[in-house]
Amino acid sequence: MRLNCELIVEVDGKQVYRGALKSFLKNFGLYLAGMMKNNGDTSTHKYVTVTGLDGSPANALVEICVAYPSGPLVFGAGDNDDSYGILVGSGSTPVSPSDYALASKIPHGTGTGQLDYDTHTVVSSYSSTSSYVEIYRTFVNKSGSDVVVREVGLVARSYAKDVADVKFLVARDVLPSPITVKPLGSLTVKYRISLSM
Amino acid sequence: MLKGYIEVVVWDRDGRIVQSGRHEMHSFLNNLLKFFEAFFKGDGLGVGVSMADTGGTTRTVVGAANNSRQSRLGTAAASGDDSYGILVGSGTTPVDMNQYTLASKIPHGTSAGQLSYGPLSLDDLGVVQTVSPPVYRFRLVRSFTNASTSSVTINEIGVAVRYRFADYDYRFLVARDVLPSSYTVPAGGSASVAVTIEVELG
Repeated sequence: MRLNCELIVEVDGKQVYRGALKSFLKNFGLYLAGMMKNNGDTSTHKYVTVTGLDGSPANALVEICVAYPSGPLVFGAGDNDDSYGILVGSGSTPVSPSDYALASKIPHGTGTGQLDYDTHTVVSSYSSTSSYVEIYRTFVNKSGSDVVVREVGLVARSYAKDVADVKFLVARDVLPSPITVKPLGSLTVKYRISLSM
Repeated sequence: MLKGYIEVVVWDRDGRIVQSGRHEMHSFLNNLLKFFEAFFKGDGLGVGVSMADTGGTTRTVVGAANNSRQSRLGTAAASGDDSYGILVGSGTTPVDMNQYTLASKIPHGTSAGQLSYGPLSLDDLGVVQTVSPPVYRFRLVRSFTNASTSSVTINEIGVAVRYRFADYDYRFLVARDVLPSSYTVPAGGSASVAVTIEVELG
């Protein structure tokens, strides 16, 4: 059994792309290794140095001693929050393992060249032979012009109150072909991780 | 996305290698997927994910919380701690993705049927560009010494992680493999088990 990940894109509820996610980034490997390297004693805050969204080294928490609210690794950003979770962009620069940001993020908003970022939804299904967990987010074009999406990304957040709040890109994919979101149209991006025997 | 392999080396009491092998990992378990579900939920959704710990008790795992101590996937167990990290067992029950414990764990100790667990170390090997696609590779390594007077047979390998949340402190099995052939650690001998994990990169 191998853990597989797919990227699924829908426009106005209709699937327009589904393929293997090929673009986890160095940041993800660094964080996962850093998290597993610890012993879980939580006697002190422990960090791993990733590359933040601005390209600078950033210390992401992998263990938290006493600080709250906190979350060592979370993705589920709320409504209108385009700083982490699933993001979309208009850039088409080829993916490199050391990418730390989308080439050109489409910001949250209702103006031209913007999309309204919804909250995230997580669904899952488990059995002894086939399981999956999926996170998705919908983006609505509330402007009067088309918005073209060429890239999608997944940004993690690692934070503890008064200690650290680090956001870092862990996956980025350039879509095989651009996707146009019409005025009042919607785009849904899903990341599905699955396991099967 | 995530794959791995297991390497086992067995030495006799004189330090000679008597058995070795490398095996593809086939056995990430639902518990690992459930950790990802907790990470995905994280902020704002605030709902925990239920999973069975290594004792079979259902626990709730959260991504973020309004509590103090938090740790998720730690594997660096100390010497003598057979509750997490790389674990070895003698069981041969086929893998089922719902499993939460080894079929028959070989406990830490120096008596017959036991092995002395060394500390777990993690080698972070970073980005490896010489394979296609490139991967991010890291390796968990642990040694097991047979201080008893009879041989001990290893048939299964597991990876268990430590989860801390406030005052809760649980262990969860996230991978289990039944080896295609047994490894026998002779009396006075030792074994090393390495679990290499690779994340496929863009």
